[in-house]
Amino acid sequence: MSRIILIIFFVLGAAVVHADPLSPADVKALLDRIRALRASTPQMQADFQEQRRVHLLDQPITSSGRVWFQTPNKFRRETKGSAPSVTVSDGQTLWIYYPNFKSAERYSLARRSPLDAGLTALTAGLSLQNIEGNYRVTGTKNGDQYLLELDPRSPSIRRFLQKLDVTLNADLQVTRTEMAQPNGDRIVAEYTNHDSRPIPASEFEFKPPAGTEVTTPLGK
Amino acid sequence: MKYSDQVARLVTERRGLMWTLVAFVFVVSLAILITRLRLDTEVLNLLPRGFPSVEALKVYNGEFSQTRELTFALLCQPDDVDRLEEFAPHFTEKLRAQPWCLRVLNGSPMETPDGVSDLQKIALPLILNLEPADFDRAVQVLQPARIQERFAELRHQLESGSPRPELELSLDPLGLIMPSLKPFAGNAAVESNEPLASHDGTMRVFPLVTNQKSVSPFESQRLMKQVDAFRAQALEGWDGGPLQLLITGRSAYVSEVSIAMRYDIVVTVLGSMLLVGAVFFIGFHRWLPLLGMGFALFLCCLVALALGLLIFKELNMVTVGFCAILVGLGVDFAILIYGRYQQGRNEGLEHRAAIADSIHNLGRAIFFGALTTAVGFLALVLSDSTGFIQLGVLIAIGISAAAVLMTTVFFLLVPERTRPRPHDWLLNLVRHYVTRLLARPRTILALSIPILVILGVIAFLPQFPLAIQANARSMEPKNSRAGHALSLIMAKMPVRWEPVLAIVRAKDDQQLHDYWQALTEHWTQLQREGKIRSFSTPSALALSPREIERNRQQLRQVDFSSTRAALQSALTENGFSAATFAPAFHLLDQLQEATAPDFKVKPWREELPPSSSWWFLVDRYFGHDPLLTTGFVTSNEPVTKQDKKNELARILPVPGVPTELSGWSYTLTDLVPWSSRQLLFISALMAIFDASLLALLYRDFRLWVIQVATLALALAAMVATMKIFQLPLNLLNVLAFRLVLAIGVDYGIYVLLVWQKSRNLAHDLAGVLKPVILAGVTAIAGFGSLGLAHNPTLAGLGTSCAVGLCWSLLATIFFTLPLAAAARPNALREPSASPNLEPEHV
Repeated sequence: MSRIILIIFFVLGAAVVHADPLSPADVKALLDRIRALRASTPQMQADFQEQRRVHLLDQPITSSGRVWFQTPNKFRRETKGSAPSVTVSDGQTLWIYYPNFKSAERYSLARRSPLDAGLTALTAGLSLQNIEGNYRVTGTKNGDQYLLELDPRSPSIRRFLQKLDVTLNADLQVTRTEMAQPNGDRIVAEYTNHDSRPIPASEFEFKPPAGTEVTTPLGK
Repeated sequence: MKYSDQVARLVTERRGLMWTLVAFVFVVSLAILITRLRLDTEVLNLLPRGFPSVEALKVYNGEFSQTRELTFALLCQPDDVDRLEEFAPHFTEKLRAQPWCLRVLNGSPMETPDGVSDLQKIALPLILNLEPADFDRAVQVLQPARIQERFAELRHQLESGSPRPELELSLDPLGLIMPSLKPFAGNAAVESNEPLASHDGTMRVFPLVTNQKSVSPFESQRLMKQVDAFRAQALEGWDGGPLQLLITGRSAYVSEVSIAMRYDIVVTVLGSMLLVGAVFFIGFHRWLPLLGMGFALFLCCLVALALGLLIFKELNMVTVGFCAILVGLGVDFAILIYGRYQQGRNEGLEHRAAIADSIHNLGRAIFFGALTTAVGFLALVLSDSTGFIQLGVLIAIGISAAAVLMTTVFFLLVPERTRPRPHDWLLNLVRHYVTRLLARPRTILALSIPILVILGVIAFLPQFPLAIQANARSMEPKNSRAGHALSLIMAKMPVRWEPVLAIVRAKDDQQLHDYWQALTEHWTQLQREGKIRSFSTPSALALSPREIERNRQQLRQVDFSSTRAALQSALTENGFSAATFAPAFHLLDQLQEATAPDFKVKPWREELPPSSSWWFLVDRYFGHDPLLTTGFVTSNEPVTKQDKKNELARILPVPGVPTELSGWSYTLTDLVPWSSRQLLFISALMAIFDASLLALLYRDFRLWVIQVATLALALAAMVATMKIFQLPLNLLNVLAFRLVLAIGVDYGIYVLLVWQKSRNLAHDLAGVLKPVILAGVTAIAGFGSLGLAHNPTLAGLGTSCAVGLCWSLLATIFFTLPLAAAARPNALREPSASPNLEPEHV
């Protein structure tokens, strides 16, 4: 009897986790749909829950907050909790602001700079732009969800990203990203409460509040 | 017995003695050449001596390891940028595997794990070398409270996703190394201006240091042979579109220059001999005299080279051009003397008498011709350029030898039996012209004067500028692969412009440190005031025994056990992995050890592995002698103008710090006044010498005026031609003007001396004009053959001189002679003058 229960359990379990691999044509069709959707609604915002395993730390870091994104490369990310921060990029400059310390870091995002490649990698899950150009893409369909596995082509992106898995719901909204970095770090983010309302341009601009100490860790 | 008769007797009746003498000179010269030949390929030796910028550039090129650096670059199509990025690491590994490769730079040392580890190895001396105030500020991070605070902040930044903590903690976990790199802060500006990939990603650069023992020509050729073998298979595995492999560097240049020199010697000498031989044969249709001329010229070259080696010990590559010039000039004497000899034989004189007659009639002209030419070339001694001084002295020796040998040894190979030529079309043509010019000189002048005047106007009109090349490329071989590679790299890479070098040599470590400290402070101030764009110095690595001792004393106040405990506690509290912070504890141990009274700081040079990419930075600043160093200053704009250079020379040095400023752009800008001086002052001196000599020689005001006017117009026509055909003047071929003055004057001397002495003007003038034309054409051919040289300095000098001599010859034929006839000097009124040679009455 227990054997029968076990068999039923495995069969049901298999049915639940069964995922159909997508053919290259299906992947292309899916990416075309995503592209069309991003073209019609280039802006998105969502709440996020993130867990980062960093090789420098013994325990993973958990954070939550909200993210705003506009194709191709503008974004804003506000982290809540005891260590709040605001990260803003207008595509040219990246700011990271730490309200607790009244300090901010400024990074210039020159084309082909290492930082630019790193950000391209980090925002790939949200933008899903130029996916075929930058990554080898394979996909599976699991119920009404899609899982895209992105393997970076360019060495500059590979320096920051080993692998990126993106999960999309039936509306093609990103619900989960899992990123593996070459130094062993892993970042898993889950997105909820999606919204594609227009975002004011000012959200992607940052002016350090008065009294903020601004540093440029990479120079210039 | 007259000198001419004595020579005639020796070459006809004492031939054994003459040949013995010739054999003796030949053997001795050859022995000197074989035993002492040493060639100098240093292109910088072409620049004048006595300029601190030139001397400093020589020091930089000779005494800094950077000279053993080769730069490889890969250039792909825009579509292949990612492929190139992927291919780059494979290419680096291939380079590393080459037996001639010592190390390859594959990125900023700060970005590679090995580079970071190497930096941590030399961290201690860098920290201890900080200035007292900076050191005291830096060691505050060792206070337990500060450690706690710092790690809490880093943890917070890490949580926010900032890239900073990871960068900082992997390089400098304790927070002490970064402050010790502060003196390198200026370097960041320089380094970031020279990334290893172009902005568009189509070019990647791979600086590499070779293990060659020296940058001598043969060693460089040997290395480049291996590099070329590598080049053949270096791109295997590349699956994209066209990919260019570019290689440049000092060894590549030295190899090319030395190979080009060999080519230049062969091509210019052979070319010159071929052209000169062809002209001689066309003029005289005789083989043996041609052989005699060739032999005499060969002996001239041999004697000049041998004496040159005895005088200078080593000959610069520019002097290789002297053989071709000497052939072109020395043949003039052979043509003149043989022309006269043949004329005598045609008129029935015996062999010996014809020899005596030719020497008697033309010996004086040849002597003065040799004198003016030798003085013209000897004036190169005033150029201060080793290469050109040697060239001048060698040609002065050679031309003097040619004057002697062509009036003696040459006749040893002139056969006693010779038949007059039935038809001499050139002589007939010349006779026809002479007849016409004596009869109607103003018709010819009506054509020649306007042409020369128009050219003169063009020469002086500023609307037609004379192209001047004042850059380093004007000195490198034509079609240089290394030069092409360098210019492509310079065009692709975002290098603003070449920095100014500041070379500093000190007596000891402390003095070196103090010098650079003073310069750094001064240049920081200049940068703040906007007077310079950026700078970088070796001050971080110029260790100060005084500061190290002081900082060690200061370090004793640190409680290392508390610091260690605070670090451990901060790591635990903030959740950092203790294993990844082992270097921080190691540095703490090192700092504690440094407080021991008998502690000796290990030399950082011994701590850096030979393959470390930090050596690229070190070699940039330090010579083979660690007390010889250089700093780099990037000005606000390229140093192309004299006033900019003068301003830098004024503001950059610090009183009491012996600093030599240099760099290619800086030096070449420095040399522009020298070049102008060469062009104007020394050419003027030569003109005064010519004018004085002519006055002494002719003692006839009208002839003197005619000849001086001819020289002036010929020079103006030369300048106009160079303007019209865009022939550029470089810093060194300005010397051509004085050579044209020295050689061009000879044509006038030959014809006007005959004019003065002649009793049968038409006959004598035709007799001398034919050899003068042939001599002119051979000289033009001799200089023109230098145009075939790969060395642009030599080629430019040859082309300029050929143009100038061409106008000197044309002006002599179509201006000097008709004007002399039109001015009706004494000779034309001689009773023996042919009636049909009466001047026209216009």
